[in-house]
Amino acid sequence: MKAKKVSDAKKVTGNVVAVVVALFFAFPTYWMVATALKPRKDMLTSDYDLIPFSVTGSNFATAWAKPGFLSSLGNSLMVSLSAVAAAVVIGLLAALALSRMRFRGRKGFVMMLLVAQMAPFEALLIPMFLMMRDLDMLDRLPTLTLIYFAVTLPFCAWTLRGFVNGIPLELEEAAMVDGCGRWGAFRRVTLPLLGPGLVATSVFAFVTAWNEFLFALSMINDQAKQTLPVWLSGFKTAFGTDWGGTMAASTLFTLPVLVFFLIVQRKMVTGVTAGAVKG
Amino acid sequence: MTAVHTTDAAVPTNSSSAPRRAAPDGAPRRRGSAFDRALPYLLLAPAVVAILWLIGWPVLSVLVTSFRKLNLRELTRGEVVWTGLDNYTEILGDPDFWAIAARTVVFTGVVVVVSVLAGLLIALLMRQISPVVRIALQVALLLAWAMPLLAATTVYQWIFDQQYGILNKTLVQLGFDSFAGFSWFSTGTSTLGVIGLLIVWQAIPFLAFSLYAGAIGIPKDQYEAAGIDGASAWQTFRAVTWPELRPLLLMVTFLSLLWDFKVFAQVWAMRQGGPDGGSTTLPVYQYLEGISKSHFGVAAAVSVVMVALLALLTAQYLRRLVRSQEGEL
Repeated sequence: MKAKKVSDAKKVTGNVVAVVVALFFAFPTYWMVATALKPRKDMLTSDYDLIPFSVTGSNFATAWAKPGFLSSLGNSLMVSLSAVAAAVVIGLLAALALSRMRFRGRKGFVMMLLVAQMAPFEALLIPMFLMMRDLDMLDRLPTLTLIYFAVTLPFCAWTLRGFVNGIPLELEEAAMVDGCGRWGAFRRVTLPLLGPGLVATSVFAFVTAWNEFLFALSMINDQAKQTLPVWLSGFKTAFGTDWGGTMAASTLFTLPVLVFFLIVQRKMVTGVTAGAVKG
Repeated sequence: MTAVHTTDAAVPTNSSSAPRRAAPDGAPRRRGSAFDRALPYLLLAPAVVAILWLIGWPVLSVLVTSFRKLNLRELTRGEVVWTGLDNYTEILGDPDFWAIAARTVVFTGVVVVVSVLAGLLIALLMRQISPVVRIALQVALLLAWAMPLLAATTVYQWIFDQQYGILNKTLVQLGFDSFAGFSWFSTGTSTLGVIGLLIVWQAIPFLAFSLYAGAIGIPKDQYEAAGIDGASAWQTFRAVTWPELRPLLLMVTFLSLLWDFKVFAQVWAMRQGGPDGGSTTLPVYQYLEGISKSHFGVAAAVSVVMVALLALLTAQYLRRLVRSQEGEL
């Protein structure tokens, strides 16, 4: 009886702590959206304004119309999506070879993938910069596509290898017994089962490219070719002190990632932890 | 491989069990044609070419460049000037460099320890709370996790804004009048404090989710046994939770070190390493030397030192990892 009471009290404390922690994590998102919705005059006062009373869409309109916003949004989308598409396709080919086939040098390839995945990419800024300069590729968007492809490829190959390993080969073999060719068995059995893994891997790779800042800042000078992170980091000059516009732009920047996350959240944790370190 | 068996328990789809590994051996033995034998290499070729060209070559190149004098002058003239260890003696003889390196290591250490500990506590907390609260907490964590780095950085700048930031307004509301117009970015240390808070806030969700996945994989009967033995909460943690979670904890600590050591975006976007270089870390220094000042040779030497430091910080774990992978391939 007494023990039960103690554990009840503990449970209440736990719940209260959890709510406080939840507020801490949710607050910046709330504050971003709340500021984005607030009229400018309400923002720049010393009044305490935790809850916005009047709501406006004008900050979103301002952000949308700001020079550079739409073009950098488009650039980011184009660069990230093309890099991820390439990394997933080429990574999947490599994953299939490493997971489904036995051949000479296989261990070596797996090691190479592991090492490539651990390489601290930021330390390759200088040689990358010099290389792109020699190729006359500075200030061009395909440069970023190429770099983001290289950044995400080892991760994609490694994670997809884990997902392919998780699909029993017996299923494919059964399909082959039933008259499917090797390709047919792969397309009808393995590929559909691989769907969730492909989605989770793509989302993670997309977020990596979507967030990338150092290379985008270094390789691109032309404002028309900026990506969204670089554009957003220059908001002080772009907006003056227009925090409403900045927060509206940040909200729009967050939305696609948030939607993806909600879709694949569970797979993400497992995919990332599994993909990062294990075979 | 013990390092991840807790994740395996939580994630059956990713487990790579022994029989499955053995199975593919049957395929090539069906005496394939020349095409069948070449197929794995064909499938691997694009990835291998890309990795050798875009990662392998730059790795070699950064080493080579670090022994060259390569400023804008040499670069435009196409001159190759070897200077031996000059770049290294230059940066290692510069007290500023040591201050920046030490700051980077300390900053990384603090951020990693705080985020891993907090992640662990939140993961354990998630097991103890009612389902509704747990879902609310998980959604909140998800919101933080999903926000792009730069969006999060702008929001933190707005929260910590000197004049209209909600933090100062709140502190004044609570009676701390001296925070009216307080500048959180006036010193390097407090700037790094804000950046550290931002990084911890962004890092915790991943840590909490993965440790939670590990924690729910711990067999229940172990806790029941501990309960029967009359173990206290702390004893149960020491005897059951800690040994089961240790491999996973080591792994996420290693990953955090890897990620937090090379953080650039948040530091640069917040105050460009300022005020007066007070929040400059090694990646920022590398960018300033290499891209802003076009001292490519010196910056390459900084990159090499960065990698060496990172390897030093993670050596123990890397060795274990490579060994465990070798057994598993």
